[in-house]
Amino acid sequence: MTITPELLAALMVVAVCVVLFAGYPVALTLGGVSLAFALIGHFTGAMNIALLGALPQRIFGVMTNEVLLAIPLFIFMGVMLERSRVAEELLESMGRLFGALPGGLGIAVLIVGVLLAAAKGVVGATTVTMGLIVLPTMLRHGYDPRLAAGTVAATATLAQIFPPATVLVLLGDQMSNAYQAAQLAQGNFAPRSVTVSDLFAGAIVPAFALVALYLAYIVAMAVLRPKSSPALSADPAAPRGLALARQLTAALIAPVLLILAVLGSILGGIATATEAASVGAVGAILLALIKLGRKEFAAVLAPVVARTTQVASMIFVILIGATLFSLVFRGLGGDDMVHRALDDLPGGAAGAVIVVMLAMFLLGFVMDAFEIIFVVVPIVAPALLKLPGVDPVWLAIMMALNLQTSYMHPPLGPTLFFLRGVAPPEITTRHIYVGIIPFVLIQLLALLVLWFAPGLATALPHRLYGG
Amino acid sequence: MPRHLATIADSIDRLIAAVGRAVMWLALAVVLLQFAVVGLRYAFGLGSIWLSESVLYAHAALFMLAAAWTLQANGHVRVDVFYADASPRAKALVDLLGALLLLLPFMAVIAWFALPYVARSWAILERSREASGLPLVYLLKTLIPLFALLMALAGIAQAIRAALVLRS
Repeated sequence: MTITPELLAALMVVAVCVVLFAGYPVALTLGGVSLAFALIGHFTGAMNIALLGALPQRIFGVMTNEVLLAIPLFIFMGVMLERSRVAEELLESMGRLFGALPGGLGIAVLIVGVLLAAAKGVVGATTVTMGLIVLPTMLRHGYDPRLAAGTVAATATLAQIFPPATVLVLLGDQMSNAYQAAQLAQGNFAPRSVTVSDLFAGAIVPAFALVALYLAYIVAMAVLRPKSSPALSADPAAPRGLALARQLTAALIAPVLLILAVLGSILGGIATATEAASVGAVGAILLALIKLGRKEFAAVLAPVVARTTQVASMIFVILIGATLFSLVFRGLGGDDMVHRALDDLPGGAAGAVIVVMLAMFLLGFVMDAFEIIFVVVPIVAPALLKLPGVDPVWLAIMMALNLQTSYMHPPLGPTLFFLRGVAPPEITTRHIYVGIIPFVLIQLLALLVLWFAPGLATALPHRLYGG
Repeated sequence: MPRHLATIADSIDRLIAAVGRAVMWLALAVVLLQFAVVGLRYAFGLGSIWLSESVLYAHAALFMLAAAWTLQANGHVRVDVFYADASPRAKALVDLLGALLLLLPFMAVIAWFALPYVARSWAILERSREASGLPLVYLLKTLIPLFALLMALAGIAQAIRAALVLRS
């Protein structure tokens, strides 16, 4: 067998997946393995290593990308809210409000999860906060550990799909490049664009539909198996009536104001995602200042800034590693191979999208959502968007839903690991795996519905922004 | 010899942490400057290319210069299915091989291609394409080899520590 460039490209994908399992940081594994294949390609004549000369220009492109500027801003906002303990207070008052109902605590967790997801947009932090605070509470009140673990894990992943999810910002950036490329390739030299705001608007209906399905499941469990989710016994010392209402309002003001300020200005078409993110971040600073007082605020500022810096640089270094990967993959002709394969699939556009969705789902076993977006989307999206009837917003939301699912499906969903790390010892890995299965099925149902009803994703952005 | 190596690793780590702790405040600068851009635009209808570009500069310096610090703090995601439960020796082996075979060559190739790229920019003291933008594009581009240098240093420190674990 001779070594063709395409074979090398395919081998490189396999090699990256295998080496990743050793556990060295993903960004550097991507870069290092790609470089090794570039060298092999150079010495076997499969590619010219001078192609890597484009690397500095690509890195410079990442450095000066205004869309990606939204990432540190949203991270800052989320971390600031986390440190000002908004989540704890919300959960406490919501739990009291719904606690007396069967399944009520589960519902409270879901609502808090939605608010946090919409206010934070980073999945790891949400899982840890919820796992630490919510899970022990649910267990103490006699919830089935499987139901409790499943609810917390699934709810935490909502941060992947609810605007302003980091995933949507990154997808928006990549999708807009791909959409331009696809239209140029078809001879349209005045291409329409797709923005992060489009994706935020497109994600809203599917995200709320997901929440409704989760809610239906929690209620169904409370009705069908009352023992799994008992009502809370009344705590005589707890505030009720007016006092509870006041406490709840106070806890709700912060996240609701922020969500309105950020999402409202984006969806209203007033601001871009980056602009709204800066308003959200400054809003989070003000809320933390009011809540913590000047002295305590000064004490949390340095940790917030440090955490923001490390999460942001983690994401951007993956982007740099993925840049080298894409250059080498393209240099070896991998792009053409994938595009040909997608064009020739039986079933046309539908077949191609299904294959890509399956591939992303499987890659979710090995890679993080960020890596998949950086590595896979630039390769497949230009080919998919050229096919008839594939809308960029719809495709992006399908991908986001798919990635969110891969975040929670056993055995390797990252959320399950985050939760495993912070869950109390009486929660076993088995509890988590079994408890998440109904939610994974809900996700698959949602994907199926969105497949047949793309309007769920595309109607709102078209209505808001036209086009 | 091991003691000298440990000293070297310590010095590198101190340097990288100092850089990280200094540049992390750029995160706050990004928030406030971007907010200022938005405020000027919506309140007064003013757009300052100069100000918008300084947000981008601050952001780029933030993640390029803090990347090595993030590596040191173990902040770069790993696929830790096996790594999380591995013995300290196995972890050290992964880190040693990873630093030598993945990180250092990757940074070497970035530096190799970035140096001439940056040199060209310095030769003409490249400025923004916008007339009223910042005239400092050559400094911005210099972040690329600096990123590679700091990351390579962090990799060397990581390799030294891993080797010391393996020897003991």
